[in-house]
Amino acid sequence: MSVKRRTFLQGTAGAIGLAMAQGALSKIVYAQGAAGTLRVAIAKPAGNLDPQSHYAIWAIQDLMFEPLVKYGKGGQIEPCLATDWKIEDGGKTLHLTLREGVKFQDGTKFDAAACKWNLERWMGIDQFSWMNCSKHFQSLEVVDDYHITVHFKEPVLALMQELSYTRPTRFLSPKSVDADGKFKEPVGTGPWVQISADDTQSVFEHYDGYWGDKPTYERLEAKVIPDARSRVAALRAGEIDLVGGFWIAPLTPEEGKQLEAAGFNVVVDPGNVTLVMAFNPDRAEPLKDPQVRKAVSIGIDRPAISKVLYHGYAKPAGNMFSAALPYAGKQFDAPVRDAAAASALLEKAGWTGSPIRSKDGKPLTLELVVSPDAVPGSRVIAEVIQSEMKEIGIDLVIRSVDHASKHTDMLEQKYDLGFFLTYGAPYDPFGSLVALCLSTFKNDVEGKLVTDPVNLDPLINAATAATGDQIQPTIQKVYDWLRDNDAIAPLVYVPSIWAHSKRVQGFTSPVTEYDMPYENIVLAE
Amino acid sequence: MFHFISKRLKHSLVLLFLASLVCFTLVVSAPGNVAVLIAELRGAVATPGYVEQVAEEIGLNKPLLMRYVDWLGDAVRGNFGISYRTGQDVSADLAARMSVTGILIAGGAVIAILLSLALGFLGALWPYRVPDRVSRGLALLGASTPTFFVGALMIYGFSVHFQLLPSFGFNGPQSWILPWLTVSVLPAAVLSRVVRVGLEETMASPFVLTAKSKGLGRTAILFRDALPNITPIFINALGTQVGLMTATAIIVEPLFAWQGLGDYFLAGVRFRDFMVVQACLLIFLTFFILVNLIADLAVLLTDPRIRRQWS
Repeated sequence: MSVKRRTFLQGTAGAIGLAMAQGALSKIVYAQGAAGTLRVAIAKPAGNLDPQSHYAIWAIQDLMFEPLVKYGKGGQIEPCLATDWKIEDGGKTLHLTLREGVKFQDGTKFDAAACKWNLERWMGIDQFSWMNCSKHFQSLEVVDDYHITVHFKEPVLALMQELSYTRPTRFLSPKSVDADGKFKEPVGTGPWVQISADDTQSVFEHYDGYWGDKPTYERLEAKVIPDARSRVAALRAGEIDLVGGFWIAPLTPEEGKQLEAAGFNVVVDPGNVTLVMAFNPDRAEPLKDPQVRKAVSIGIDRPAISKVLYHGYAKPAGNMFSAALPYAGKQFDAPVRDAAAASALLEKAGWTGSPIRSKDGKPLTLELVVSPDAVPGSRVIAEVIQSEMKEIGIDLVIRSVDHASKHTDMLEQKYDLGFFLTYGAPYDPFGSLVALCLSTFKNDVEGKLVTDPVNLDPLINAATAATGDQIQPTIQKVYDWLRDNDAIAPLVYVPSIWAHSKRVQGFTSPVTEYDMPYENIVLAE
Repeated sequence: MFHFISKRLKHSLVLLFLASLVCFTLVVSAPGNVAVLIAELRGAVATPGYVEQVAEEIGLNKPLLMRYVDWLGDAVRGNFGISYRTGQDVSADLAARMSVTGILIAGGAVIAILLSLALGFLGALWPYRVPDRVSRGLALLGASTPTFFVGALMIYGFSVHFQLLPSFGFNGPQSWILPWLTVSVLPAAVLSRVVRVGLEETMASPFVLTAKSKGLGRTAILFRDALPNITPIFINALGTQVGLMTATAIIVEPLFAWQGLGDYFLAGVRFRDFMVVQACLLIFLTFFILVNLIADLAVLLTDPRIRRQWS
């Protein structure tokens, strides 16, 4: 059979035209099909949703699995699967009253037996000893169908806060594991049931038997869009309704501004995570001198970083923790940049000369390690700081590393200066203080922000051992020590940025970066 | 012919072996300890003891040569191991994702062929006139514009502005058009110049003068006489360009949220997922070598002069 060239070209043009027309038509059908469906962007597939593993996106687990208590605004602990709790014996005994009438999505009753089965999957197990309640776990007794008592070897710091975490604390149906007790499928007590999940999306529908208030819409689709620009484009094209969240599908401040300019609703929460610069005096000799650390700190123009690099969304930080967290301590204003004072401090410390200062023939060169994978935008922040340091005579060398190298370099302290992010709610302030600042606690993941076994460790230990009214004054001593010694340089409070279409109404930022903010949304169809 | 194929296959096998060795060296010499990342994924906090246990479990403590031999032995049997990042079978993941990348490359290749022939002939039909200059300008623009930028422009134009086509996803033919166009721009630009220059050289041949003297028009000569003459060089260049599309897929797939091999490879590189990176590299290389082998065979079939050389 022979085909004429003209016929072939006409046929090809027709096929392309038809495909495009079909595309347009499908688009309309797709938009209609989205009624009652909230479409949220996620940056990677949801992963293995086992509450006791760490593969999944927290916010997706949050849709299905519920904790005993919830972490509310300002750190208030609110009832969830436990309606009441009592801590006795100096913090070593916890009495829990469980919510009645709750069923897992597979029909299994949530009662003391199910609660015990769940708690024993992680409490007292070495792998989860990073949580105090697991580390100090002693025994657990079922009092009756809806009452349970947990005994600990030692008083557990921030016990109820720990029980509000997304993992490993949330509740899985005892029937959703295989004969060996291995996780089989995600079945919780939460308002959403997973209908399907693959590498392209996870789809959820209402759980009709949910004990609490159900969302006003019936379906939630979490669409996997790895590229940040494509997520913004998808929102602008009307293919998704909601994007944002540090651990879900982060939006940069620049993207937030673009979306604002395009008429989208951009919701910015001041956030409860702090970007902090760490000094490593063990590697960089000049940083042993507090005057040099102070010079670096006051040499940084925090308001300029907030205004230009964060487009005004971030607030300059003067403290390790923002006031949004409980026990954040007395709040100080961020240091104001003072190049003259910084230069004077360096002169006083013996670092002289120009353009790069030196002492005993050694130039004042410091290496700042950044990982844009771990801290988005950190490369640009580093470059701004580099130029500011040059003005006061410090040669700042930036070394950019990827996610894997950052882990190794930070653990092995292969940096002079480095960026750290505090964990934020619900983990802080104790989570970051213990994991990042207590020398005896081996986190073996992020490395240490600052350690001082002689001076700082006793203060942190006193703060973590304090109870009731004693917590605030003892933890303040930690903050005062950090501040008086210029041991760290808090830079900005990292904002939580979300953007949504006009279709989404009533949106409020989640309390923590680990939650999916679906609760207050109403879809305008 | 048989001699030619057997020689090329031998070369290909040696090339594959060397390439896998180079890939292995590159992957293992990258800084960072993957055992820490895996331990963290499994339990949030990784104690030194647990990191050591993970390193032992995934064979990081074995000598490098042993690791390579182990991996190669399994890979030859089609077993690419378990992904460090997801804990899933790499072979199964590859099988699921191969069709996505296959569709991307096949569609992109077809569009590249059509576009390049159209632009090349446009220039050759009206040499040194406006159509030729336009085609040359478009080729220059296509060859010098980064793929991610082309993709972003496509998304902005067709998805955001006109809302004609989806901006992401792998949901049927309408969602394939933008990735196809994006992946085809660079090869189309390069191939259009191959066509245009090839046609120009052929049109300067003595047989064209003979054809003209017999009264044949430029269009007829271009299609009937010049086209068969440029086919071998076009096929050769096409083979290279299609092979290189695997590299473009690494950019295009995440941009359009396609879960293909390019996306898989990128995620593997970020996590130091040795199993995934090695498997993907081996597939990319095999594909590149195969495509070029097929291109050589096609040249052999279309060019009687080369056929005579090997007969």
